[in-house]
Amino acid sequence: MDKQILTVGNYLRLVNETLAMIPAEAITIIGEVVDYRLSQGKWINFDLKDEDEEAKISCFATVFKVQTPIESGMKVQITGYPKVYERFGKFSLNVETVELVGEGALARSYILLKKKLADEGLFDESRKRLIPRFPERIGLITSAEAAAYGDFLRILNNRWSGVEVIHIPVHVQGQHAVPEILAAFEQFEQLPVVERPEVIVLTRGGGSLEDLHAFNDESVARAVFQSSMPVICGVGHERDESLCDFVADIRASTPSNAAERIVPSRHEIGREIEISIDRMGDTMGIIVERREQRINHATSVLQRYIEQKMHDLKMTVERFTYAFDRFRLALVETRKHIERSIGMIEQIFSFILSKLRGETDSLVRLFASFDMQKVLQRGFSIVRKNNKIVRAALELAPGDTIQVQLGAGEFEADIK
Amino acid sequence: MTTKKQPTFSEAFNELEKLTAWFETEEVDLDEGLEKFERGLELAQICKKKLAEVENKVTTLKKKFAELDG
Repeated sequence: MDKQILTVGNYLRLVNETLAMIPAEAITIIGEVVDYRLSQGKWINFDLKDEDEEAKISCFATVFKVQTPIESGMKVQITGYPKVYERFGKFSLNVETVELVGEGALARSYILLKKKLADEGLFDESRKRLIPRFPERIGLITSAEAAAYGDFLRILNNRWSGVEVIHIPVHVQGQHAVPEILAAFEQFEQLPVVERPEVIVLTRGGGSLEDLHAFNDESVARAVFQSSMPVICGVGHERDESLCDFVADIRASTPSNAAERIVPSRHEIGREIEISIDRMGDTMGIIVERREQRINHATSVLQRYIEQKMHDLKMTVERFTYAFDRFRLALVETRKHIERSIGMIEQIFSFILSKLRGETDSLVRLFASFDMQKVLQRGFSIVRKNNKIVRAALELAPGDTIQVQLGAGEFEADIK
Repeated sequence: MTTKKQPTFSEAFNELEKLTAWFETEEVDLDEGLEKFERGLELAQICKKKLAEVENKVTTLKKKFAELDG
């Protein structure tokens, strides 16, 4: 056999060509992860250690290729391409896939991914969106064969009506589950806005951590997070949880509960409508009653006012009548007084008159006497008996007293 | 009024809720109240009718990823 002399570089290329002949895809290596390191958030280095003997392989991977969260101590099955790095002269395995082995490793991986997504803010309460109170179009992502599908629709029909359910059938477990669920979300996104559901329901029945892997898958959790439509996730039984539950806008405990969370109960809403109408009716009743009271009040006020006015009028009339009576009495009195006064005036007048008349008579007599005087002064005399002029001697009898008026003076004389 | 299209359940219910709130919070005027009360009754009828008559409808979208089923 000819001896060949090769450079180190060429030799390693030969080794690597030889290593490339190993059917990498067909071989799965099982072992335990030790010395797990992540550098610059991208490069993963760890050693895969044999469980039974002292043997280990140095492994290299990127986070782009290997998304399954792993850490030291986990039991894994990996596939990859062996290679000797020329620069370091170090043999390592370029990891293509990592699959966790056993419930313990799955549970651990689940916890790690949950923490990672939580740290990124995928579970934040602040981003949870509300769904319409009465959704009219619901997107449903689940398997048509699953009990979850029947449960969801049964409860939906029991509770509410008039909803259009757009169902995209998918496998909820097995190797097709993740790509199908991702495609379903994408399909809803691609619908014209007016045809998009107002809420998407992602649901399946309960199962083991392995059964639920699609609902714990990072890419599915991110699809739920990125959905432009609110997502409600309902998985399995009360106790089951999945990463999608935490990312979803609403977390339902079961598929039936998802239906309960999405639509109201028609009985409750019917009752609410009844109560609304009753309340309105009551309010109207109160208003009418209050209005009636106000009218009654106004009527009674008006009545009292009228009564008061009537009373005032009566009082005025009474006062007037009283005053008028007094006035009439005063009038009568005055008339009597006047009458009395008139009597007195008449008396005074007649007194004055008679006095005047007496005086006039004396004056007349005086005047007359003045006329007589001239005659008397010529020697005549006037004989009077009882102040009456005696014109004939027959008028006289012996014993009569006569008055004789002369031209100067007068005297009395007795008849013999 | 007659040309107005029938409201959806959600629209009718929301309007009914607003009316209820109005009755609960405002100083209700008799005439306005009567008008709103009548509208409330009308909306309640619409809601009840919709609750009673309509069924849910399920449409299954064709898969776009048939190739995945292999």
